[in-house]
Amino acid sequence: MTISRTTTPTTGGGSMKRTRRWQTALHYLILTVVALFFFLPVYYLIVGSFRPSRQVLSGLSGFVPTNLSLDNYVGVFEHLNSDATGYFSQFAVVSIVVTTVVVAGSLIVNSMAAYSFARMKWRGKKVLFLLVIILTIIPFEAVALPLYYMFSGQRDTIVIQAIPFIANAFSIFLFYTFFLDVPGEIEEAARLDGAGPFRTFFQVIIPITKPAFATVAILTFLAQWGSYLWPVLMVSDATVRPLPLAISIFQNQQPPEWGQVLAFGTMFIVPVLAVFLIFQRWFVASISSSAIKG
Amino acid sequence: MTTQIQPIQRAPIAPRPRPRSKAGLSGHKYAGPLFASPALIGLAIFLVAPFVLAVVLSFYRVQLNSPRPARFIGFEQYTRLFTDPDLSAAFGHALLNNFTFAVIVVPVQTVLALGLAVLVNRKLRGMVIFRTFIFMPLVFPLALTAVIWRLIYSRGDEGLLNAILGFFSGGALSSQDWLGSPSTALGSIIVMSIWQSVSFQMIIVLAALQSVPTELYEAASLDRANKWQQFMNVTVPGIRNTLIFVALITTIFSFRLFDQVYLLSRSGSVDRGSTETVMTQIINTGFDNNNVGQAAAMTVIFMVIITVIAIIQRAAVRQRGGV
Amino acid sequence: MMTIPKSRRRSGILGVAAAVSIATLALTACGGPSTDTAGSAVEAGSGEGTIKVWAVDGQAAENDALKKIIANFESSQSKIKVDLKLFPSDQYTKAVNSAAPEDLPDVLDFDGPTLASFVYNGKMAPLKDSVSGETLANQTDSIKSQNTVDDAVYGVGMMNAGLALWGNKKLLDGAGVHYPTTPEEAWTAEEFTGVLDKLATVVPGGKPLDLSEQYGFAGEWGTCCSAGPVIWSGGGTMLKDNKAAGALDSDANVKSLTQFASWKKYTDPNADGLAFTSGRVALSWVGHWTYPTYKALGSDLVSIPLPNFGKGTKTASGTFAWGMGAKSKNGTAAGKFLDHLMSDESVRTYTDANGAPPATKTALAASALYGPGKQLQFLGDQLSKACGTEDRITESCVSVTRPVTAGYPVVTDQVGKAEAAIYAGKDAKEALSAAARAIDQNFADNDGYKK
Repeated sequence: MTISRTTTPTTGGGSMKRTRRWQTALHYLILTVVALFFFLPVYYLIVGSFRPSRQVLSGLSGFVPTNLSLDNYVGVFEHLNSDATGYFSQFAVVSIVVTTVVVAGSLIVNSMAAYSFARMKWRGKKVLFLLVIILTIIPFEAVALPLYYMFSGQRDTIVIQAIPFIANAFSIFLFYTFFLDVPGEIEEAARLDGAGPFRTFFQVIIPITKPAFATVAILTFLAQWGSYLWPVLMVSDATVRPLPLAISIFQNQQPPEWGQVLAFGTMFIVPVLAVFLIFQRWFVASISSSAIKG
Repeated sequence: MTTQIQPIQRAPIAPRPRPRSKAGLSGHKYAGPLFASPALIGLAIFLVAPFVLAVVLSFYRVQLNSPRPARFIGFEQYTRLFTDPDLSAAFGHALLNNFTFAVIVVPVQTVLALGLAVLVNRKLRGMVIFRTFIFMPLVFPLALTAVIWRLIYSRGDEGLLNAILGFFSGGALSSQDWLGSPSTALGSIIVMSIWQSVSFQMIIVLAALQSVPTELYEAASLDRANKWQQFMNVTVPGIRNTLIFVALITTIFSFRLFDQVYLLSRSGSVDRGSTETVMTQIINTGFDNNNVGQAAAMTVIFMVIITVIAIIQRAAVRQRGGV
Repeated sequence: MMTIPKSRRRSGILGVAAAVSIATLALTACGGPSTDTAGSAVEAGSGEGTIKVWAVDGQAAENDALKKIIANFESSQSKIKVDLKLFPSDQYTKAVNSAAPEDLPDVLDFDGPTLASFVYNGKMAPLKDSVSGETLANQTDSIKSQNTVDDAVYGVGMMNAGLALWGNKKLLDGAGVHYPTTPEEAWTAEEFTGVLDKLATVVPGGKPLDLSEQYGFAGEWGTCCSAGPVIWSGGGTMLKDNKAAGALDSDANVKSLTQFASWKKYTDPNADGLAFTSGRVALSWVGHWTYPTYKALGSDLVSIPLPNFGKGTKTASGTFAWGMGAKSKNGTAAGKFLDHLMSDESVRTYTDANGAPPATKTALAASALYGPGKQLQFLGDQLSKACGTEDRITESCVSVTRPVTAGYPVVTDQVGKAEAAIYAGKDAKEALSAAARAIDQNFADNDGYKK
């Protein structure tokens, strides 16, 4: 295995240089193979979405970008053409609304709680915070079924798809670690300026802890955009069906139209992929900080 | 690449050497609870309450929206789960699938994450592009991942994987029924899961790699340690806790396994038994078959397992303390 | 790196105790949903307004036909509007069963064997006060018996269903295979294996058979249309006297299903749905609903009875039909809509779209596909040789009604699961015994689904 640190001192010599060149070439080769493994399914998705359905599942020729057309995209919209089947745009709106509500709600609610735990003094705080910490280990899966039982009367609503995910123990914890680092002088200054806790929090603290908000926003977004288990339990009605559930149903339709399924998938992922490409370093930063903090 | 967020930017307010007032934000004694309450209420209703409800339900024979009233049956759901030959076999098998998944995925994915992190942690021309490709699956929802891989794994020569293998082996490798055959079904799920999630772990390891102090490497090379020795003696200990963390979140992830398995088991002729996990069984029992009490008992057991893993996590990290 | 904040290290007994106490507090805020006791309370209503209709999301052509029928209904009168919702087939039963009674629609689609379960759970209302006498009288006998529970009619159907091996005559002739055209002449399972061997040499991929794997054996397709006919044809049943043990796990079923699974090596997975029409396979085991697609083969399309596993070829009968939600507030309007659905024109529109045998007497008589000398006569003949339910199977009857019990959901779940396992290569005896025990346990837990 090559340990490649630019700082590693070399002992010099021509043969050493040649080995290094070979090493670099090998490095590129491995990188290429690895990158192909990660990229080929993405490529297959996108190219397949432009090929005739019957040529999607056809061995290696599934990779060859021939006979490209927008037919599959047109097909998706033609196929999903009424309230009964749902519309692609409707699925997308449901996903966007639910995700936005969850991300926004989660930023406000969890940061406030974290701020209260990190910077305010009140009775019972320690016990409650300990509880929140304990709750970070309960994954949603563990409560999905009883939650479905509790809220079965609210099935097929947008609200029930979003509300359970707003308060999040791990997000509270992440915010908490960020808020601990805020110097007390800043709050003090705000207080002397006559700011109450609300103004202090919203006008002084939030602006200087934006990275914390970006982190929670991105992690919450990634989890929520792909949420599948909860919609499986709570959504039967096409008008409130989010994208992940919609694609799982769409891909099961008979007779199969794989080109359309891939077109659906491409429309599902490309906007997110674009955002990811633009903000890649933010994504990377939030994921690494989730571990460093956690 | 910046992999660490600067927790705070210095605010343009001059620090004042004033002691903080005793009451914190005095004069607003309800502010603390007020700030915390929306989140706490949310957690109580959507996490704590259903968890307690699961325990309660597990003592009943109960169905949703059924004309039959719930019936208290004590520990019978648990007794059945552990003693009824079929149920315990099915539940045991699902647990075993989760364990198998964990036993394979945890080491493989941790090592892969480390390998990938090492691979991209080098300043080479074009590295940004390689990284982008490797990170890409991160934003893929599992439902979509399963749909793409369902086609890749498709049985017969039309399937992409079969075609690729056939091509490179010159036709020597015959077509497999990757998802349909009990011997390859779980493995196929494992590969697609790794594809989707290894970059997450890799990013975490990468950040750790970059935070190992350079001086340690310099010191090691002064001691004439070769690169492998440096890797084993400097890098690995330096990121030990991160590796433990990665291994443990992967373990917990292995037990939460649901989306891909559930979606695929309802598409085409897959043998559900060979990929059934605890979560798919909970949903299959409680939701598909409306046996809520039984599923609640499974949920409680699931919870116990997760808790045990979390306790091990704490213990493992605490053993040597945070680095 | 990995700094664990102090507070996190301090989790201990105190924390756990606190967790429990808050949990207990929180629990008082919630409670399980109330279980409504069954009972149909349909109100006749004003006979106008909007009625809610739930249906299974079928093939695109079926959905379009249904929409057209609804559009015709809305334009034929001005008082009643229809609000149609389609549900994916694997979610439909759950959507109905988990709906609170007041959320049920006025009119709903249902698959034949799920009717008993819906009635048992109080989801459906009898039709006699809402639907016209002519509509009820015009139903064919087989569909009427499917839609009757405890002597009350709960549903009316536009279509029946039939299964066949669709054959590609050109390929069959190419391999020198003679095929049966009547149920009596059906291939035995052993003969069928020989036929597949011959056909394997003439098809491009060497896999001449399509068993409709793409529908998933673990779902309803498995029970109704794949495992069901195999089991019945081998002389077995799924249930006997409301018990699966001794029936589902019988040696006959083990033998038949093992034989069935042995054909996997001849089977094209048909993941693209094109296996038959593209000439990749010579035989396709599927229902009437592919006829509109398969007829592209023209005169090369032939219908062949399913293989005979010992007691004559068998097929499933019964399919989706329409009924009324138990708490409809607009029974009159719902009844009018059902009458419209069963009109000759609606039935023709629908069955033209999916090739199904019409389930109303007048439409069947006028059918261009079914009847003596017509192209799908064979499917119609199979239906007319009705066995009734499993326990009344004889060697000469062909179409079998799936088990009529409120416990059907668990039966179909387990039978399908077992078939998928056997097809994947697992031991048939083990798979079927496990399924039988699971079914019996579920029946026992529900007191045998007796009222």
